[in-house]
Amino acid sequence: MAIQARPLHSVGVPMKRKEDPRFIQGKGHYVDDLSFPGMLYLSLVRTTYPHAEIKSIDISEAMKVPGVKAVITGKDLEAAGLGWLPTFHGFDKQMVLAIGQVLFQYQEVAAVFAETRAAAVDGAEKVQVDYAPLPVVADPFTSKTDKVLLRPDRESKTNHIFHWEVGDKDGTARALASSPKRIKQRIWFQRCHPAPLEPCGCVAYFDTMGRLQFHVTSQAPHVYRTALSLVTGIPEDKIHVISPDLGGGFGNKVPVYPGYVCAIVGALKIGRPVKWIETRTENLTSTGFARDYHMDVEIGATADGKVTALHVATTADHGAFDAAADPSKYPAGIFGIVTGSYSFPVAHAEVDAYFTNKAPGGIAYRCSFRVTEASYAIERGMDILADELGMDAVELRKKNFVRKDQFPYPSALGFTYDSGDYHKTLDVALEKIGYVALLKEQAEKRARGELMGIGFSTFTEVVGAGPSKHFDILGIKMFDSAEIRIHPTGAGIVRAGTKSQGQGHETTWAQIVAEELGLDPQNIMVEEGDTDTAPYGLGTYASRSTPVAGAAIVMAARRIREKARKIAAHLLEVGEGDVEWTDYKFQVKGVPSKTVTMKQVAFAAYTNMSQNEPGLEATYYYDPPNMTYPNGAYVAVVDVDRDTGETRVRRFVAVDDCGVVINPMVVEGQIHGGLTEGFAMAFIQEIQYDAEGNNLNTNFTDYLVPTSLETPHWETGNTVTPSPHHPMGAKGVGESPNVGSPAAFVNAVIDALSPLGVRHIDMPLTRDKVWRAIRDAETRT
Amino acid sequence: MNLQYTGEEKIPAGLDAVWAFVTDPEKVGHCFPEVVGVTVQDSTHFDAVVKVGVGPVRGNFKMKVELLPASSKRRIDMKMSGGGFGSTVDLTSGADLVDAGGGTTLLKWSGQAEARGPVAAVGGRVLDAQAQKLIAQAFGNVRKQLTL
Repeated sequence: MAIQARPLHSVGVPMKRKEDPRFIQGKGHYVDDLSFPGMLYLSLVRTTYPHAEIKSIDISEAMKVPGVKAVITGKDLEAAGLGWLPTFHGFDKQMVLAIGQVLFQYQEVAAVFAETRAAAVDGAEKVQVDYAPLPVVADPFTSKTDKVLLRPDRESKTNHIFHWEVGDKDGTARALASSPKRIKQRIWFQRCHPAPLEPCGCVAYFDTMGRLQFHVTSQAPHVYRTALSLVTGIPEDKIHVISPDLGGGFGNKVPVYPGYVCAIVGALKIGRPVKWIETRTENLTSTGFARDYHMDVEIGATADGKVTALHVATTADHGAFDAAADPSKYPAGIFGIVTGSYSFPVAHAEVDAYFTNKAPGGIAYRCSFRVTEASYAIERGMDILADELGMDAVELRKKNFVRKDQFPYPSALGFTYDSGDYHKTLDVALEKIGYVALLKEQAEKRARGELMGIGFSTFTEVVGAGPSKHFDILGIKMFDSAEIRIHPTGAGIVRAGTKSQGQGHETTWAQIVAEELGLDPQNIMVEEGDTDTAPYGLGTYASRSTPVAGAAIVMAARRIREKARKIAAHLLEVGEGDVEWTDYKFQVKGVPSKTVTMKQVAFAAYTNMSQNEPGLEATYYYDPPNMTYPNGAYVAVVDVDRDTGETRVRRFVAVDDCGVVINPMVVEGQIHGGLTEGFAMAFIQEIQYDAEGNNLNTNFTDYLVPTSLETPHWETGNTVTPSPHHPMGAKGVGESPNVGSPAAFVNAVIDALSPLGVRHIDMPLTRDKVWRAIRDAETRT
Repeated sequence: MNLQYTGEEKIPAGLDAVWAFVTDPEKVGHCFPEVVGVTVQDSTHFDAVVKVGVGPVRGNFKMKVELLPASSKRRIDMKMSGGGFGSTVDLTSGADLVDAGGGTTLLKWSGQAEARGPVAAVGGRVLDAQAQKLIAQAFGNVRKQLTL
């Protein structure tokens, strides 16, 4: 049950979300709600061929459709110097509209602008494209052979995009070779899609001042502004990016998509506003997908279960363009977190990425740059090792956890974990789930031939990208920012470089400001997403908002407090050095009766400031000194029907340690949502391609989003080990449940099937896949 | 999605009559199941509009058809490509005509089709069976026409 925050104590209070009244009343303001006089609609012609040469494009019939105003193709854009778009990490480029050839099914081929949405779609149907099919490469292993070269436009004549590695290669090989116990398993994290309920879209127009007004579904509006300026040559002051309410993002709304560029070109060419809103199919088939990592995991251990070395070699399917929006120094994201919560003396991780005739992307879905893949690999790997050793999965984990006294912990792959108490977090989860009783029940069921499984995931994430010495996107360092203005009455506004897509920033940011300044969070307005008003920030993704922008808000508030101290000293008629901030107000040191509130100081800042500068506002750009390392212990209990392969998740306990919690209700909501997505990936979600490159999951009847009927009941808990370097001790939580939970589900199902000798099944664990595994195992025996 | 089909049809007409029929775009075109219209371009090319319903995907497909008769071998190949509502189908088929005696002809056919887009994605589960049925119907129609 939510309670309202007391005005002077805000952090840690489960304050109701300030944004929810408008959302639950259908009063959210989304891009598709916008309408401008004379607005045209854009529909994109998309290819059904996964790989083909374009022989000709005939737009004459489309131009005859009533209402169609213009059709543009890749050649038109190329002539205008807009044929290609740089991808965010800067190492590849992507066709805006296909030039010469198409490289994946549903790739954008032509743009049709018309008076109505219907006319635009009708016009797109009439564009005649003559294709000569080329051989299709639908998986990275075929791509690796280079028999079909997919990107002749690139200097490097190979489908291999990059090789990345970190760690001690030789040392790891030696340690593995001399380890008494060793496991090796190929683990595939299947291609899936974030599928935000609101697809991507924009409205573009040039105002009377010739300024581009660009309303867009963007998680990173400032980066869009800079990228658009660099791509189009429009001076950055002539671009205004506004990201209104977003109906989910999950990383899908980080990249710049061809539809955006086409809308801007159309607005410029025709001189009218242009709206482009994707269909569900367009969203699922052409925008940023997630994962598609084939990971060969090898772990060495002593006979009594102490891990000795880890090697992970990954083959990554990046699709037709290398559009994974990673920081530029991290082509495989921060996959180096693959050693997880365990104290590996030595490790080596490598990733080789390949082009295929599939949609580009690979970084999305509530994942801090490949951390989900890494966590899944190590958490599955540890269970396989436990099976090999004949050891309890909990015992193996506890034996190898980084201990509390080892923090700050330098991992074998180069990270410095900030803080944590893994043993305690797991103990809380074990207590909550009743592990001892469950083991007894499981033994009884196994004796009767019933399949019951208990699965663990004790993950460590790395979020809050990131320190400027390591992290940038298109060269822009990954700091974030906040600007706070306190009004004369003690109300105020905070603006940040982040952009909520449902995370609840309007509430959380207000709570931080209120806590730091002793003000009422109900009267702190939060504004994000408008590049004209917000300070420059890198946006919301990779669980970076609270670790980075949240810290900027704290620091900006503290700057305000320092200025307010001067005014307080004036009001209290003492020297500044005699004023202290205590119990949410200024007080003369040692004289508890002589106090002044921030509200009083705010009024004085505009009415009675004495010799001090008027006003009360501050800006702060925060460059984090380190990443933060949220962690958790998740336990799933499942029953698997031996005859049908159906899995029932009977219980799921999630104990998270995300450092200091600002709003427990918001955090719990984040965890519920992320667990539901983790459940979806574990059991039902996959973007499949057939061997001919057809996308087989193009809508919500084939790509499933769990409803309340399928979703298990979530039991949550938490431990708190503050981040030592975050000014409030917070770590970020948005992605933890999505990162941590898939392994818990899969480990539980495999645990259930382990009496049959089943050691691994790749996700999603659909009924038929589980049933086949049971049948095959029974046939073997 | 790649689909392969074979079959044969026994037709109660002589080899020459069957050959004349299957090399005539106007006649062959109207043997397509659910055909809405046929526009003959020349002696070996025609356009056909056919109604398609695969699972929830329903609408008209516009197909361009090319006939490639090899009269010395009594073999006719056909290339078809086209589509609609964001889907495409490329189909190649061939038929050998064999004199089966007694004024009858055996039409041995084979074909392969490549379907792309929603028709392959959404219709994937039913497409194979449905395409098999449609092709069988097409050659069945040839037999019917020649039986009358």
